[in-house]
Amino acid sequence: MPIIEMKKVFLLGHRQERENIFNVLHDLGSLEMLDIKSSEAWDDFEALVEPEHAGEALSETEAALSELRYCLDFLQRYYPVKKSFVEQFTGGKLDLSESDFKDYIARLDQVREVYDSCHGAEEKMARIRNEETQTKNLIEELEPWSDLSVPLEELGRGSFTIMGLYTVPVDNLGSLQASLTEKAPNHYFDQISSGTDYVYFFFAGLTEEEQDRQEIFKENTVSAVSFSDMTGTASENIERQYKKAEELKSERETVLKEIEALLEHRPMLMACYDYISNEVQKHEAVTYLARTENSFLLEGWIPAPGLSDIEQAVEEKTETAVLTSRDPEPGENVPVLLHNQGPVEAYEVVTKLYSTPKRSEIDPTPYMAPFFFVFFGICLSDAGYGIILSLMAIYVSRKLKLEGMGKQLIYLLFLGGISAFIFGILFGGYFGDLIKLPPLWFNPLDEPMRMLFYCFGIGLFHVYFGMAVQAYRNIKAGQPMSAVYDQGFWFIFLNGLIMMMALPELASVGQWLAVAGGAGLVLSQGRHQSGIVMKFMSGLLSLYNITGYLSDVLSYSRLLALGLASIVIATAINAMSEMVGGTIIGSVIMVLVLLGGHAFNIIISTLSSYVHTSRLQYIEFFSKFFEGGGKAFKPFRAQTSYVDITKSESN
Amino acid sequence: MTGTEIALIGAALAVGLAGIGSAIGVGIVGQSASGLVTEDPDKFGQTLLLQALPGTQGIYGLLAGFIIMQNIGIIGDELLVLTVPQGYAFLMASIPIAIVGLVSGIYQGRVSASAVGLVAKRPEELGKGIVYAVMVETYAVLALLATIMLLFGIPL
Repeated sequence: MPIIEMKKVFLLGHRQERENIFNVLHDLGSLEMLDIKSSEAWDDFEALVEPEHAGEALSETEAALSELRYCLDFLQRYYPVKKSFVEQFTGGKLDLSESDFKDYIARLDQVREVYDSCHGAEEKMARIRNEETQTKNLIEELEPWSDLSVPLEELGRGSFTIMGLYTVPVDNLGSLQASLTEKAPNHYFDQISSGTDYVYFFFAGLTEEEQDRQEIFKENTVSAVSFSDMTGTASENIERQYKKAEELKSERETVLKEIEALLEHRPMLMACYDYISNEVQKHEAVTYLARTENSFLLEGWIPAPGLSDIEQAVEEKTETAVLTSRDPEPGENVPVLLHNQGPVEAYEVVTKLYSTPKRSEIDPTPYMAPFFFVFFGICLSDAGYGIILSLMAIYVSRKLKLEGMGKQLIYLLFLGGISAFIFGILFGGYFGDLIKLPPLWFNPLDEPMRMLFYCFGIGLFHVYFGMAVQAYRNIKAGQPMSAVYDQGFWFIFLNGLIMMMALPELASVGQWLAVAGGAGLVLSQGRHQSGIVMKFMSGLLSLYNITGYLSDVLSYSRLLALGLASIVIATAINAMSEMVGGTIIGSVIMVLVLLGGHAFNIIISTLSSYVHTSRLQYIEFFSKFFEGGGKAFKPFRAQTSYVDITKSESN
Repeated sequence: MTGTEIALIGAALAVGLAGIGSAIGVGIVGQSASGLVTEDPDKFGQTLLLQALPGTQGIYGLLAGFIIMQNIGIIGDELLVLTVPQGYAFLMASIPIAIVGLVSGIYQGRVSASAVGLVAKRPEELGKGIVYAVMVETYAVLALLATIMLLFGIPL
């Protein structure tokens, strides 16, 4: 049974035992808790319930969680945990044994300390960054004045003279000097340096001429530069700042070392994070309960096969709790858990990526799986690529501990490799034409029309199969006539048309079949309309759906196109490598071209085989009988983001 | 122009236009993917998958170009001398993948770029994002099929 039966359970317990019971359920991980407030029975409970909230304990654990989050993010920023390409899809968590995990949890009280260290280190880093920008800016500002021999502290206003540093736009230099000589001749002007835009100069003048000078400066957009709190010449100051920058750099390295020293706590932090986030989950679950002063009631769903386990656990590990269960009632939104056996399980990932089936539907996975297997093989259709894909899948599944959809996807690729191997032998593709073996069946490259014909054939079968599944559903739902009207008449009509067009010797039979099927459709498809005219019109219009079936079947031509694409690209790689062969260097390049080219083609062809095969299932097949939109089963169980805990055998 | 030259224009169009389509498409996805990866570097793998999707048009174009080159003997044994009508036949055969590859590559890029946004908020829905993008690619596949059938059908 691909969709597992669910039981609704009610658990009544004493308040004091609540945490214990939660731990038992959490460890079992086979129950989905329901928020009792959304239950029909809520009206009965509402008056009873004590308005307690998850409360203080929750906010405390949440605070701890955010501290952990902060520490982990902080360490990640400076010393990121690198994830390999495959791990980005699969998670790539830290492997811990159960006892290690417990040891780390025992160090939970150290988190505060680590948090303070992280916080301190971050503050230090921020200060260092600030000062570094400051010195950098100062050096930039001082640089133009490095040839100035006057110490900076001596600049300024004296009783008779004013000394200062100024900048003037390069274009205004001439007019500035001219006006100065004309209107305030008693001055000393020394150009220190010049940049692309500005000229930097030292200027000393009499105090009594200040008025005129200000005006001249204003006219020529001269601006004053001042360095307060600095002693010694500019170049001395620059040197000082450079030294400071050096110091900051070494200080930064010290802090980085401090952070590096914190890294040893990272596994502990990860373990604690996962532990605390599960604690938060448990606290939040409290709000799902109906509670009185001394008791609580829990409502949930459990897969029927897991019921005896949970009954046993509740009986053994608790004193007061009472568990009752019942079958789902009509109208209840029952969560859906898929369970397929053997290789079919791998294809659950395809269904799940589309949508979880509704309770009332059948799980399409077992019907879709054989088609997926075959289509994938036709798209890749190379024995060599198939072997490599399967080996890669085995390697990845050995190397990485995969769970859930990741595991299913790798298994699916492994099966896809086998399928590609089979079709490679049938069509004679071994790394394109690298190994020249005759095809067991025929080569689609030589007879593309024949292959196209088969693709349409297999597509038609796929579409018919989808219709048959829907007919089966109709019959099972007690509507055998719907099966006749909606699927049977179409089947007759389509077959009649095909005979008329494609099989000349059966054309006369086909003609009558098409007419009979068409008439049936016209008469039956309007049955939900009211009034004879509307019935007839919508029946007639329904014939227009023939375009849908036509485009569905034509869509399977992609099997041919993708199969040809992977073969021809492989052939192109082989041809290119042959062109460079001959000399020793040529042979080396040839091998490189072969390796790189085929690796590229395997990746690209596998990707397009997967996506196009999925599409054929989703658009052409599922549309015949499957809607989706069910609620996936989400059990109350330990969820980890950083660590994978391997259960030890001892318990 | 000789027939061979006209056939080569066909090959050039197939490779060039479909390649431009893919380049633009892949470029669009890359831009929005980089935005996401600055926030969440772990999404690199998923977004790379999306970026690869509009890349196939270029490959289809190259494929068509390669078949033309092989049929007229640029690659392989000896260069065939084509008549002008034969040359035009090759040129016409390359038109479907050239045009559809160009346009569908760009549009598939746009859809994939939106799928990057989808993955940013709901990484578990990557599959649906891919399906939307593949809907666009259907027409490139059909055009490739037409081009291949035409190329195989040219009498030499």
